Amino acid sequence: MRPLSTLATVQHGLPADLSAEALAEVEALAKAGSTLFKTSVLGILVATLLFGGTSDAVAQVYVGSGGPRRGAVEISGGGMWNAGQDLASRDAVLTGNPGAGLGTVDLFRSEPSLDPVIGAQALVGVYVTRALAIEGGVQFSRPTLSVRLGDDFEDAPDVTATTDITQYLFTGSVLYHIGRPGRVAPFMAAGAGHLRDVHFGNELVETGTEYHGKLGVKIWTGEGRRRFGIRAEGGLSVRNGGFNFDEDRRVVPTAAVSLAYLF
Amino acid sequence: MTRLLTLLVTLTCVAVSSEPAAAYLKLGTRVDTRTVTLRWEDFPVRYFVSNIAGGGVSAIELRDAVNRAFTTWTSVETATITAEFAGMTAARPNDEDGMTVIGFAERRDQDRTLGATSFLIDTLTGEIVEAEIFLNSAFAWSVAPNGQADRFDVESIALHEIGHLFGLGHSALGETELRNGGRRVLAAEAVMFPVAFSAGTIQGRTLRADDIAGISDTYPSASYRRDRGSLSGRVTRNAQGVLGAHVVAFNLQTGKLVGGFSLNEDGRFVIGGLEPGPHALRVEPLDDGDVESFFDLTLNIDADFRAKFHDRIIVVPRGGGTDNVEITVEPK
Repeated sequence: MRPLSTLATVQHGLPADLSAEALAEVEALAKAGSTLFKTSVLGILVATLLFGGTSDAVAQVYVGSGGPRRGAVEISGGGMWNAGQDLASRDAVLTGNPGAGLGTVDLFRSEPSLDPVIGAQALVGVYVTRALAIEGGVQFSRPTLSVRLGDDFEDAPDVTATTDITQYLFTGSVLYHIGRPGRVAPFMAAGAGHLRDVHFGNELVETGTEYHGKLGVKIWTGEGRRRFGIRAEGGLSVRNGGFNFDEDRRVVPTAAVSLAYLF
Repeated sequence: MTRLLTLLVTLTCVAVSSEPAAAYLKLGTRVDTRTVTLRWEDFPVRYFVSNIAGGGVSAIELRDAVNRAFTTWTSVETATITAEFAGMTAARPNDEDGMTVIGFAERRDQDRTLGATSFLIDTLTGEIVEAEIFLNSAFAWSVAPNGQADRFDVESIALHEIGHLFGLGHSALGETELRNGGRRVLAAEAVMFPVAFSAGTIQGRTLRADDIAGISDTYPSASYRRDRGSLSGRVTRNAQGVLGAHVVAFNLQTGKLVGGFSLNEDGRFVIGGLEPGPHALRVEPLDDGDVESFFDLTLNIDADFRAKFHDRIIVVPRGGGTDNVEITVEPK
């Protein structure tokens, strides 16, 4: 049995793609049975829709509203991916003795990089209009810093040394949904964030700023006020500060896939 | 009762320690079974400059160069040392006269020694009571702003010796080659490297990260304790501690190098004065200087292993330390 609020939504909504056959079926059920029977059937139909039903039959019987109303809330959570980044290489330099004809001597060379990483993200958004939403979120990941150490002056064997970093990114974004509201909702987003890199064992925290732009799509299971969906997005994250080896900003390709719920 | 002892530190310094000392080598003396660090307790350190010219440099020129060298050391923001020029004097270096004197002295018998520092210390506390520095006037010297061919730079060598005067030992951050029966430095990243750059150069006038870490670790300021960190651990070979291994910490973000040594039979080392952040570690045997430039020859310094990098990046925290770094080395 669905909660009454869900039933109420069903009762006064009419989806645009509701087929005549489905409408007839619903009306027939309503006329033929008791209120209890009607409630049970609709509850089962809605429950099927909400919890993963994608069959034609379910889609046909969904009764909902159009695009998200102003003030609607969307929450989502899922996995994210950050591409690897090559960080600034640096030589361990000794000051050379001019008397020996040397300017500098490289003791060894370091080539650091952050490995690609899969993490988690959670987002909460509020629709300002049917097309525009503001969103806040957090990302969590554990990238590995790998540093190739080599070209040693005394022929020490090359090594790739590593350490783990815990990375938090707190973001704020503005999302614009492109086109007519519907089951498939492409969007573009831009925003900024606060980067917080915590080194292994919480020994050191480094903070920075982040700016991002992304394109994505939400695929809803329906168009009602309350709906589940899948959200996929990709973009670029420009980062300054945090865990960094030089003063330059770095651009990190990102992608994410989340389950979303609109209400 | 205070016992006083005269300790000579030429380009050979002694750092005998039963306990690991932070940062690179600091001068120490044994008191019973423990080692105490040599350091001044009363500041400013008042020094005199001997009024004798030498090696082509006048006493006034020597004074000015020595003053600049003291200022370089006392300008280190993370150390709490001060010094004061007390005047010119007819006294000579190495006299036990209650005065700290810096001056020229001709030591033709020490044909490889540019300068030397000696101390009068309280052997119960390690307090430095008096120090003397001589620059060997058997060599040709210069105070020219950009150096002078075939002459050693007074300010550079004074800077090194004043580092000893404040209690610092030698750093091993450098590379040398054997040449003409001696060592020639190819490169160094510490004023306190035991072999001087060639005559005519002035690279030795600038303190490096290793020097700053050492002086700050000996005389730490509040900001040093708050803002710098350390790392410590062991160097082992076949599960046995390695004594005298040179461990270099390389800051991956700043490129700064700070070195230290494993200073006991367990192979334990501490490197202090590090800026917070990720560091790569490199271990090498002590093979770029005479062992006696760093350690008492009675110690069993182990140099029979290959240079290697540690396979973990070590993150140094702000105002704290990262412990238990285990580095295993292989025989040559």
